[in-house]
Amino acid sequence: MEEGRAERRRRTEAPSHTQGGPRRAGVMTDVHRRFLQLLMTHGVLEEWDVRRLQKHCYRVHDRTAAVEELEDFINNINSVLESLYIEIKKGATEDDGRPVYALVNLATTSVSKMASDFAENELDLFRKALELIIDSETGFASSTNILNLVDQLKGKKMRKKEAEQVLQKFVQNKWLIEKEGEFTLHSRAILEMEQYIRETYPDAVKICNICHSLLIQGQSCETCGIRMHLPCVAKYFQSNSEPRCPHCNDYWPHEIPEVFDPEKEREAGTSRATKRSLRSRQH
Amino acid sequence: MSEQSKDVCDPNSAAEASSSEVNSSPGVPGVLSPPASQAATLAGPETPPLGPTDALLASPPPQAPSEEGDPKALQQASEEGRAHQAPSAAQPGPAPPAPAQLVQKAHELMWYVLVKDQKRMIIWFPDMVKDVIGSYKKWCRSILRRTSLILARVFGLHLRLTSLHTMEFSLVKALEPEELDRVALSNRMPMTGLLLMILSLIYVKGRGARESAVWNVLRILGLRPWKKHSTFGDVRKLITEEFVQQNYLKYQRVPHAEPPEYEFFWGSRASREITKMQIMEFLARVFKKDPQAWPSRYREALEEARALREADPSAHCPRSSVSED
Repeated sequence: MEEGRAERRRRTEAPSHTQGGPRRAGVMTDVHRRFLQLLMTHGVLEEWDVRRLQKHCYRVHDRTAAVEELEDFINNINSVLESLYIEIKKGATEDDGRPVYALVNLATTSVSKMASDFAENELDLFRKALELIIDSETGFASSTNILNLVDQLKGKKMRKKEAEQVLQKFVQNKWLIEKEGEFTLHSRAILEMEQYIRETYPDAVKICNICHSLLIQGQSCETCGIRMHLPCVAKYFQSNSEPRCPHCNDYWPHEIPEVFDPEKEREAGTSRATKRSLRSRQH
Repeated sequence: MSEQSKDVCDPNSAAEASSSEVNSSPGVPGVLSPPASQAATLAGPETPPLGPTDALLASPPPQAPSEEGDPKALQQASEEGRAHQAPSAAQPGPAPPAPAQLVQKAHELMWYVLVKDQKRMIIWFPDMVKDVIGSYKKWCRSILRRTSLILARVFGLHLRLTSLHTMEFSLVKALEPEELDRVALSNRMPMTGLLLMILSLIYVKGRGARESAVWNVLRILGLRPWKKHSTFGDVRKLITEEFVQQNYLKYQRVPHAEPPEYEFFWGSRASREITKMQIMEFLARVFKKDPQAWPSRYREALEEARALREADPSAHCPRSSVSED
């Protein structure tokens, strides 16, 4: 068995691929380990948080080293995680394009990450909400429509009042976002479940024409029906006075959002508290 | 032989497997093995009582050679081997799964443990067997060992059996210096701040804090038992149920109090994860005072810090000579 080899490698700072094989992986140091610990603890983090986290880990474990460029830092870690079927995945919030990161398990093909948190009927409620969200035109499912499905849930019978609270639990745990009585997927859920969703709902799922990732919220061309994420629209049509559909060339009828600019965010000098309450509304 | 049917893993031997492999990290004592009679009392709800023989039969035969590096583990392995030569040698048993399958199980278990810890849920050994290991019960020792190895090398975390009695594992940080990392990212501060507020109240009082006293303090933060808060949600539920479930707080009825009153104490997890010095630092920050403004408490905190240092001299290795944030 590979155990002997694995033990010998433990003594050096060598990569941890337990599958053996000649794959060259990066080196894990305590900086990376702490980073992973903290990323796992937080579930999902925005990019500015991730950068602070990275700097914190360097400060704690290796003050003398230069802080590696975030993308390389993460790719380095991911090369070690590859053999474990997990990775640090980067995504973006669908409404304003803020980059987010989460440690995701590539091997799961179900909502199993949530499975340990929620009861059978709660999980089923989530699945029902998920289906409504995916099938909807806007990417939002109304509270009413979700609650009307309460009778069809597997497991213990759930009343509508209870279901309302369960939905709030999903919001608090960052699986769903609520906006004016309607629910959509949190960026965390999209990051973690994209694979599962694409496999489970291959016909209903919408894909962005630009980045080819899963699309829940976005804009669509009224002529040919292709869809784009709001941040993808922003980037694609940046400084274009006459935006046209990339597929059918018809005039793009929607308002073009601003490209997300982290620098502008910081300069705006919004206090942490305001930012947090803003975020908790949007996310 | 009839013992073959009782193929449930003994969490203690599994814990030895996990602890003996991760001795490269500084300052972590290995899990002590209780006497064999204690192992016999470890019974899951549906399984017959385990004896030490079952624990050995549950592990794959070639144990001793692979446990290099830890003299204590080696000694244990050879002792076990000597004492129980005959039965294990005579067992044909079902064919062991391919190494790749055991590796996959180890990865699943790793993720399972990480997620449980992320949700601050208890990592319960019978759950691990039921939810992840399943039909690979016989090889759970080897699976657990591999999982612990991965967690140590990739995440710098120890999977440790914290309570033999309740069969609970927990993930302990193996990196130095140990600190409240949560504080480093202040968007987690709300939850931690709330908890620290209550813990420090209890600490300063030197005994349990009555619920009424706790609410007096929380009122300063604008929190009320009947009001839902934008960040915390149902605060009362959070502190009397969730924090209690996570073992950060204990919520107990005050004896002989009429009408019934409740009080809060530190939970076992708080005692494990949070030092008195951290509480003093928190108090100093919140009240903008020197920690020595609470002289007896500060003295206690110093005592505890000194005791911790003495218990773990290797905890302060030169590599981490940097000062804390």
